[in-house]
Amino acid sequence: MERSGDQEVKPRRYTFARADLPARIRSFPFVRLTAIWEAFRVATASLRANKLRTLLTLIGIVVGVTAVIAVVTIIQGLDKTVAQTFSSQGSTVFTISKSPQIIKSREDFVKFNHRKDVTHEDAQAIRRLCTSCWRVGVAANALDTVKYADQKAENVRIRGIDPLSMFDVDGVTIDAGRIWSEAEGAAGREICVVGPDILKNLFSDSPPDRVIGQELRIAGRPYLIIGVLEPLGTILGFSRDNVVYIPYSTYQKEYGARRSLVVFIQVPEAEQLEAAEDQVRTIMRNRRGHTQDDPNDEGFALETQDVFLNLYGAATSNIKLVTVGVAGVSLIVGGIVVMNIMLVSVTERTKEIGIRKAIGARRKDILTQFLIESVTVTAIGGAIGVGTGFGLAYLISALIGFPLLISILSAVLGVGVSSVVGIISGLWPAWRAAKLDPIEALRAE
Amino acid sequence: MSSNATIVSPTENVIQATTHVNGHDPRALISMRNIWKTYQMGTESVHALHGVSFDIPRGEYIAIIGPSGSGKSTLMNLIGCLDTPSQGEYWLNAKNVSEMDDDELARIRNQEVGFVFQTFNLLARATALHNVELPLIYGGVGASQRHDMAKKALTAVDLSERMMHKPNELSGGQRQRVAIARALVNHPSILLADEPTGALDSHTSMEIMDLFERLHSEGNTIIVVTHEHDIAARAHRVISIRDGLIEKDERIK
Repeated sequence: MERSGDQEVKPRRYTFARADLPARIRSFPFVRLTAIWEAFRVATASLRANKLRTLLTLIGIVVGVTAVIAVVTIIQGLDKTVAQTFSSQGSTVFTISKSPQIIKSREDFVKFNHRKDVTHEDAQAIRRLCTSCWRVGVAANALDTVKYADQKAENVRIRGIDPLSMFDVDGVTIDAGRIWSEAEGAAGREICVVGPDILKNLFSDSPPDRVIGQELRIAGRPYLIIGVLEPLGTILGFSRDNVVYIPYSTYQKEYGARRSLVVFIQVPEAEQLEAAEDQVRTIMRNRRGHTQDDPNDEGFALETQDVFLNLYGAATSNIKLVTVGVAGVSLIVGGIVVMNIMLVSVTERTKEIGIRKAIGARRKDILTQFLIESVTVTAIGGAIGVGTGFGLAYLISALIGFPLLISILSAVLGVGVSSVVGIISGLWPAWRAAKLDPIEALRAE
Repeated sequence: MSSNATIVSPTENVIQATTHVNGHDPRALISMRNIWKTYQMGTESVHALHGVSFDIPRGEYIAIIGPSGSGKSTLMNLIGCLDTPSQGEYWLNAKNVSEMDDDELARIRNQEVGFVFQTFNLLARATALHNVELPLIYGGVGASQRHDMAKKALTAVDLSERMMHKPNELSGGQRQRVAIARALVNHPSILLADEPTGALDSHTSMEIMDLFERLHSEGNTIIVVTHEHDIAARAHRVISIRDGLIEKDERIK
């Protein structure tokens, strides 16, 4: 009774009898790579078949990714410029001053004002006692008017330094002429080394060697130009070359000894920075300890160049966020385009979905198929967008004069984020396709 | 075809045994017990099937015939596991299909049912070979084995020369043969054909029906749903449906 037809008949050639079936087909594997590969194949075939639709979808994503990549790349270039500029003094330099460069509140301002001035003696004590320190120097700045003949420049930074190694600490080099000698410096001679902006503003861009030997008037007093510095360039639109270096003893004569100084300390290697900071902190605490009004205040500020970078970071982080956000909106628009196109695609292919379901595609298979289709198109769009984004950033960088920073991370991120956009915007259309009723889907068209 | 005579005798015995009304017959390939299908049309309930029961043993060639609106299509959808009954039990190859969810039904359709449609329902952009491979893809068969099986299936329906053609490069009869190869490539329990000759001329129709006869002689269980009496007459047993009920269930060969 149990004997059934397929056992009865001797097949004359290949037949569809169940007995011919390899055993492993009866088991239904959970991981079905073949189905995923099929989904990918179908996806690419469908993208090829609907070229105009694919192109429109691509444009949507490409524009979004281009905007984001360009903005991010330019921001990175800007950051790099700023970091390079501030670290021209190097991460091996720190300073001791009366008050920090950035004062956050009025109370702090009052507190810092009550501190004792940082003096030449403090610098000497550090030079004598700090074994980890390499170069110790002092510098003081004033803004003043500088004149040559009938030419005049206001708000020029007059920087008094001692000793000569402060030129190295500041990271400036001589382009023409010379720096002063130790003896000249100690004698408080009226000699100066000028930044390139002085040539531009007062000497109608004469070549540096023509300026050597000319007489400059600072605050009405004549100074002999003995050297010209190499340009440092601008940072965020501010020139760093609008400066006149004079010996510190000369500076004291002109601007008085009672102003607070900044002590610059340089270590040979960045690794020694912490040890030197600790030593200097101890030295300064000892020197300030007895004379403090407020026992909770150290009485001095120890700062590395990081403060500038931190300030820059704090000042620009919101701007960056908003810019990237605005660029991101176009990516969201791209995502909506993809969703739209995918919905059209699902509607157009209802019949196909019905056929696939009838012959055994599960919800998961259909879902995967459409998700892969949308991810494929957005990933390709992302890759193109990364290329055009870098291209756009290159153009803009070339115009502004930034270094172009092509980061692999942002390339990977660009493709990754657009793929995520593909998943998100493909999810709903794919789910609609997956839960189609096979009977109704087969009736379509 | 002349070779059929040997098959009929054992199945006849099975039919005589399927008189249990309660519970399914474990020997039957298909066992339908008191199947109801009710559709909600607004506030009204429409009964497409009013308690249908029958058994189909393995290896049978059966036609289900009825005019449009008789519940014939509903019955076909239920047999093909595209839908589940509102009430009643459907056992297919010893599995209770009536309580399965979407994905379980998809698995049953993949493993147990081979569909042949009136309008072929091939994927237009895919080659004949790929169309035939499709059930194997969803069945998780590896590429080389899949190719092999699909080629054999196409050869068995005499389409070995047309494997790389797309459906629009094939005649109606050839397309239907691709569909038959696709239906049978996974070695299902049943071949379920819905008006398989409805879109074909009479000569091609005869060819397809001859092919069905051959497949039956090779041991396949074939169910043809049709409204044409001469197509139904090729089967060995005919179930007539009218108004959601079995009107007649007769053995004709």
